[in-house]
Amino acid sequence: MDAIARIESELRRRLGADVKGFESPTPARLFVDIDRRAVRGAAKALVDLGARYMVGIGYDEIARNGTLGLVHTFAFDADHLAVALRASAPAAEPVFESITPDIPSAGWTEREYQDLLGMTFTGHPKPKRLVLADDWPAGIHPLRKDVPYNLVPPAAEDVAYQLDQAPPGTTTIPVGPFHVSLHEPEHFAVYVDGETIKGCDYRGFMTHRGIEKLCQTQVSYNEVPFVAERICGICGSVHAVCYAQAVEAAAGLRISRRAEYIRTILLEIERLHSHLLWLGIAGHLIGFDTVFMQAWRVREKVMWLAERITGNRKTYGMVLIGGVRRDITPEIRAELEGLLTALEKEVLVLKNAVIGDTAIHRRTKGVGYLSKEETARWSLIGPVARARGLSLDARKDHPYAAYDDMVFDVPVVDSGDVWGTLVVRVLEIFESIAILRQALARMPADGPLLTEVPEALPALRHGLSMVEAPRGESVHYVITGEENRPERWRVRAPTYANLQAVPQMLLNNQFADFPIILGQIDPCFSCTDRVAVIDARSGRRHVIGRAELEGLSRRPAGGRS
Amino acid sequence: MSIAAVFVNVLLFLLLAPLFEGVMRRVTARVQSRQGPPIVQPYYDLLKLLGKDRINSARNWAFKLAPPAAFASILAVVALAPFGSKLNALGARVDAITIVYLLTLGGVSVLLGALASRNTFAAIGASREMVTMVMVEPVLAMTLILGAVRTGSLGLGQAVFSTASLGYSLATAVMLAAYLLALQAFVAKQPFDIAEAEIEVLEGPFIEYSGPDYGLFRYYMMMKQMFYAWLFVAVFLPFLRTGSYAGDILTQLAGTFVVFVLIALVGSTNPRLRIDQAVKIYAVLILVALGAVGLAVAGV
Repeated sequence: MDAIARIESELRRRLGADVKGFESPTPARLFVDIDRRAVRGAAKALVDLGARYMVGIGYDEIARNGTLGLVHTFAFDADHLAVALRASAPAAEPVFESITPDIPSAGWTEREYQDLLGMTFTGHPKPKRLVLADDWPAGIHPLRKDVPYNLVPPAAEDVAYQLDQAPPGTTTIPVGPFHVSLHEPEHFAVYVDGETIKGCDYRGFMTHRGIEKLCQTQVSYNEVPFVAERICGICGSVHAVCYAQAVEAAAGLRISRRAEYIRTILLEIERLHSHLLWLGIAGHLIGFDTVFMQAWRVREKVMWLAERITGNRKTYGMVLIGGVRRDITPEIRAELEGLLTALEKEVLVLKNAVIGDTAIHRRTKGVGYLSKEETARWSLIGPVARARGLSLDARKDHPYAAYDDMVFDVPVVDSGDVWGTLVVRVLEIFESIAILRQALARMPADGPLLTEVPEALPALRHGLSMVEAPRGESVHYVITGEENRPERWRVRAPTYANLQAVPQMLLNNQFADFPIILGQIDPCFSCTDRVAVIDARSGRRHVIGRAELEGLSRRPAGGRS
Repeated sequence: MSIAAVFVNVLLFLLLAPLFEGVMRRVTARVQSRQGPPIVQPYYDLLKLLGKDRINSARNWAFKLAPPAAFASILAVVALAPFGSKLNALGARVDAITIVYLLTLGGVSVLLGALASRNTFAAIGASREMVTMVMVEPVLAMTLILGAVRTGSLGLGQAVFSTASLGYSLATAVMLAAYLLALQAFVAKQPFDIAEAEIEVLEGPFIEYSGPDYGLFRYYMMMKQMFYAWLFVAVFLPFLRTGSYAGDILTQLAGTFVVFVLIALVGSTNPRLRIDQAVKIYAVLILVALGAVGLAVAGV
């Protein structure tokens, strides 16, 4: 019996008439419509069958049928299948049973829709505000369609987030909202006894930009990929590809094999530079700046590789629905192959230096430990999960783009600590280089870059897509709309899943290890290269090149170069 | 003449300590494939800091007193030091214990400032600094006591120049190893820059300091580093002696330069340890240092 049949029969057996219907547009997707009373039972049934929770999606259908919709998505990785449980509740009484007591990683999803859509989740263990600012007025739920995208309610004074009660006998160390080991504003209140961490409360979402709302109301289908790229400074293409795939899946589009290969190349370039970036940051976080500098020096090669293909070091602007915008010509291909050989040599030196360094072992082995069972219970993904014995990789489990053609390993170790995530990432660099070589060698020479897309995409279709970002799986869920833009677009970056378990990993570690334990899930920041200087008087535009920029940055202030 | 030597000491330390810091930064940069700042950058840094307004952010006298106290104590230490293999007018009137006291006074001033700043990160930094002080300073004390045991006098000259007068012994060799291992902790560089660890506790004891107060602390740290590097050369490398005062100053400075390069190399090829890991290493160092003194008592 195949997986879909097994899941269908199990859900029918456990929930009976609460299951309203099944829909399986492809063998890799199963949408299940259920009554809202059955949400927790159905979620539990899927988890009992071995599912991994991905994310929930809430949406406003008040204008259409007076309800608020809720989708919980699950992955059956071994069966290469994703399942979406769809339910809805009347807007007058938008109450669902919380699934967080069974599935801890659903905690944020439910808190998010409590904020953004005004849903209520009965039995949620920590129903605190998550996304909305502390001074946002109660009762305004910004993802509802009657709230304009540019609403700015008046700011309120003297409103602050109430931190969790500190465990008795502990001191609170405020890590954030601004702290050198964080690259973005977020606030961890770390409760320590001496230097031992006894607990932690998290308040984030301080720079929530409302990108989903913006794209659901203001832009069109093919503009969204460019917004999506700006979700993350590191894995821009991941989000653009993931979004495009979700729309293509919803609309039933097939794109050319060549475009899929080019997308694969983009995604692997991002993984390469992201992992090297992470390695550097990890070195910095344990006070080893030499690793930082050397890893970033090597990374520079990858940035130039990206620039050669796309014209940009970051934020490539390559992806559209139906394909990609630029080709990889045979000349560039030959150049890239040479670059990859040079890169591999440098990474090998780096790997030998880092993997064999006992001083690094001392700071990473046994740090931030989480057992395999806990990792599965928290639905962790990416290198964080692969360092804890779980072989999860969307490239293998839910193949997309051209990954079904690629031969590569998914490195898995079971040390369960920060060291494991380091080893996994370093090994993945070599796999990425191997994938890039295969993709460049086998890329079909024919086929359109951009497949023709019909004038109007069918409305109200659901599409779900997963892409393995450098830090783990990104999930995008799209409901197609009637006005040439998504009716609903939900993004879940991998950090959303992994960050929720950080307090768990911090427990009973030393405060000195806080930066690297948080760092193992890989925070991100972007980098820019060139500056255009315009002389205001003459209007002459002068682009400063790399050598000149380096010279400028080295010249003492006011002095000669 | 020996009064003049006091001023030579103070002047040379004040002038050269930032230079050695610059050397360390350059060496570190080279290891990291960087060009690095100009070698005189620490002077610019100090001048900039010393030229700023003084802000008493903690609003109490202890916070204000700590930086000058730390700086004064390290000035006193270098004034006493038998620089150029010669006891000066002040050094001849004190014993080795005075040096240990004055060095500890500097450390205590840092703690005082940290605790007076009433900042959580400073408090963590201070507690780490305290542990480091309690566990690492004994190695310095033992080094001087070893000399005192071998020469039978606590006089500064005897304690520092025991190797020069009596030659190497097994005890000296063991102490030399202990001192070298403790050196990174003395100068607060990786793997023992734990109290300041900017990524964890944001420069720890110094987080609330800015402007001239912070500048004095930086200067204090640089002078302290130079003193510990020089002391290694003076105690353990007697073969650098030339017989003349000026010649000895030059060879000792050259030796100090090499020690700084060594510190920078070790610092740039090691991650920071956690305090609980460091404490175990310090404990071994204390035992080794005690063992060396024991050997000296036994006459080995």
